[in-house]
Formats: sequence, structure tokens, C-alpha cells
Amino acid sequence: MEFKDYYKILDIDPEASDKEIKTAYRKLARKYHPDVSAHKDAGNKFKEIAEAYEVLKNKETRAEFDEIRKYGAQGQSFRPPPGWQSSGNAGRQSASTEDFSDFFSSLFRNANQQAEFDDVARRQGGFGEWGEARPQRGQDIESDLPVFLEDTLKESTHSISFQIGSKKKTLKVKVPAGTGNGERIRLKGQGAPGPGGASNGDLYLRVRLVPHELFDVEGHNLVVVLPLAPWEAVLGTKIEVPTLSGNLRLTIQPNSQNGQRLRIKGKGLPNKQGKHGDLYAVINVVVPPAGDTGTEALWKELAAANKFDPRAEWRK
Amino acid sequence: MSDNRMEILSLNEMCEITVMSKNTIIEIVEHGIVEPIGDEPESWRFDTRMLVKTRKALRLHRDLEIDWSGIAFSISLLEELEQLRDENKALIMRLSRFEQGCDSS
Repeated sequence: MEFKDYYKILDIDPEASDKEIKTAYRKLARKYHPDVSAHKDAGNKFKEIAEAYEVLKNKETRAEFDEIRKYGAQGQSFRPPPGWQSSGNAGRQSASTEDFSDFFSSLFRNANQQAEFDDVARRQGGFGEWGEARPQRGQDIESDLPVFLEDTLKESTHSISFQIGSKKKTLKVKVPAGTGNGERIRLKGQGAPGPGGASNGDLYLRVRLVPHELFDVEGHNLVVVLPLAPWEAVLGTKIEVPTLSGNLRLTIQPNSQNGQRLRIKGKGLPNKQGKHGDLYAVINVVVPPAGDTGTEALWKELAAANKFDPRAEWRK
Repeated sequence: MSDNRMEILSLNEMCEITVMSKNTIIEIVEHGIVEPIGDEPESWRFDTRMLVKTRKALRLHRDLEIDWSGIAFSISLLEELEQLRDENKALIMRLSRFEQGCDSS
């Protein structure tokens, strides 16, 4: 087991006052809280910080940790001192100590599970209001669910695998048509098992729409960039435009401008009521690569014949 | 196949799922953090999106020791931040599509 130096984790001196410990925790918690931080390892970082604070904020557990630190900080691999027993005060004021490290569990987890359970139940409002203790639920689990845009057109089934403790679990999940990016799907009772026969936690899946090769998403509308040759934009043409459900023939009007958005009705993403957004094709005029002398002569002829000044606005 | 039909939850169900007291959930609603459908606590109805937001509020309250009005303020800023990040990501993606057009020419 790895020894964890909680002082180092909170970046404080072992002689730090209670106030300094609290300040260090608050500062780091604001930085790494997974609900706030964009840091890619925020979840694990925050867990470490919360674990360190859980032990150091309490006088008894801090004194216990100081003892262990003297004993265990030197070695590579850490084992609790023989006959070690904690006062069990850690984890009695914060709700989620279940996924703290093995180091925490072996040293500070309360030996008297019932006392801890009663404490949690009381703290979480289980007594009084209901008149009796409610059992603590199993831990909720959160996971991302990547979904392709094509899969949101109609109900789709996804197979997901996730870890609960040491067990791997696989489930099939239905994603309704019209599910959007960032939406959560709650799977009741599919989280971690509840302690002592209490109900299971839930599984929350956060839908992540996978970026598409061609289409960008704007709410329920889709956007595709439509490259046109200069003469296609000027003379107009008929082209095949890709949509999520196959190609469509689209008429490009003569004298179309670069950046112009052409609306293709009903070819966007559906909402939950089955109504589809639109697809917008944004014109991007692309100049061809350097061509042969014949082509160049034609461009020169055009330049000589046309008095168009694209920078007329600058000279006003 | 796992059951994930659209769920509408009562106040009691919200309390059971979040392992919180009615008073805590009422406080969250009174601060406008979530806005259930219905006028009285007994008739309140919460959807999954509201449940997710309530859980987030509870985590922030517990872990960052912020009071409820601070939570309400933080959550609205976080939502705005998330929306701006998404928009920014989408615009960078769009720009790269136009730039790809330039590269190929």
C-alpha cells in the first residue's frame, strides 16, 4: 500500500494550524472540484484533497496520522503498525468516503460500522423527519456515454461497461430519439450496492455527442460547410449535399455569396417530440490550385473585363 | 435491458434518491436552484435534469462549504461557462473546416 502524505497533498507544513488546513483545502477544492474544474484528472485530484482534509481537520485523526507519518513515511511500501486501531472519527462528517484510498480505509475507516452508519443517517436528515433511521444508499456512479449523431435520429441501443469496485458490469441502455449533448440518463439501482442490504445507488450516464466528420451541431440544427468553386457560386449549379439520412439535391442560385447559409428544412436533429431541426449549408468559395496557362489566361481576361472593387468600403 | 424511461419524481422520491431531508430540498428550490413543476411542495414534480442539478448543488454545498445563495450564483455561472465552452469548441471546429478548405487550395 502506498503511504499518503496528507500534508504534502494539501501543500502545507506539518505544523500548520487548523485555519491554515481549512484555507488550503478550500483553495484546492475550488480548483479541482469535478463540478467546477476543467482539469482532466479533477475527480482523482479532488478525492485526494478531500481525503487529506478529512483526516487533518479532526484533532484526533490528525494526531493519529502524525504518529503513522513518523512510522511509515520512510519506506517505499506502507503497512499499518501492528495492532493499529483508529478512533474511527474520520469520515463522520463528510458524505462520500467510500472511494477514498486503501491507505485511508486501512487506517481511519471506523471499526464500528454501525456507529458510522447511524451518524451518516442522522446527519443526512434520516432521523426526526421520518421518525426512524433510513439506511444509507449505495454510491451513485457517473459515466460518459458517447453517442453518434446518426444514433439520435431514432431510439438506439448501446452496450456500456463500467467498474463497480473490482467488478466489471455490462448493461444495454436505450437512448431515446432526440437526446442532446450533455443530457443525463439515470439508470435506477445500477450503481454500487447499498451497505447492509440498503438500496443500490444509481448510474448516471452523461450523453456526449461524438463530433461528426461533416456536421456541426447548433441546438437541434446541423451545419455543414459547402465548398464551391468560384464559377459555381457565380453561375449557380445543382449539387448533392450530404445529410444524416442520405444525400439531397440542392440548387445553388447564381451570384451566391461566400458565408451564405442555405437552409434545408427538417434535416437537422430531432427533439424529444420528434420535430426535426434544419440543416444549414454554409457556402465556402474555394479558389482552385494554380492551374495551367489556359486557365490563368481566362482569369486574366475576367480581371480585365470586370471593374468590381471588393474593397470599395475601405475607400468611402 | 436497463430501465431508463423519462422519470418524474416527487419531493419524497427526491429525498430518497439524494438521501437528504425535505427541508434541504425545499431550501434548494426556494433559492431558485431548481424549479420544479407545481405550486406546493406536495405537488412538486422534478425531472432527471432537476435531479442532476440538485445533486450538483448538494456536492458543492458539502465539498466547498458554500451557502445556498452562493450555490445558486455559482451554478448559474457554471452553466454559462459550460455553454460558452461548448460554443467555443463548436466555433473552433467550424473555423477548422473553413481552414481545411484553404489548405486544399
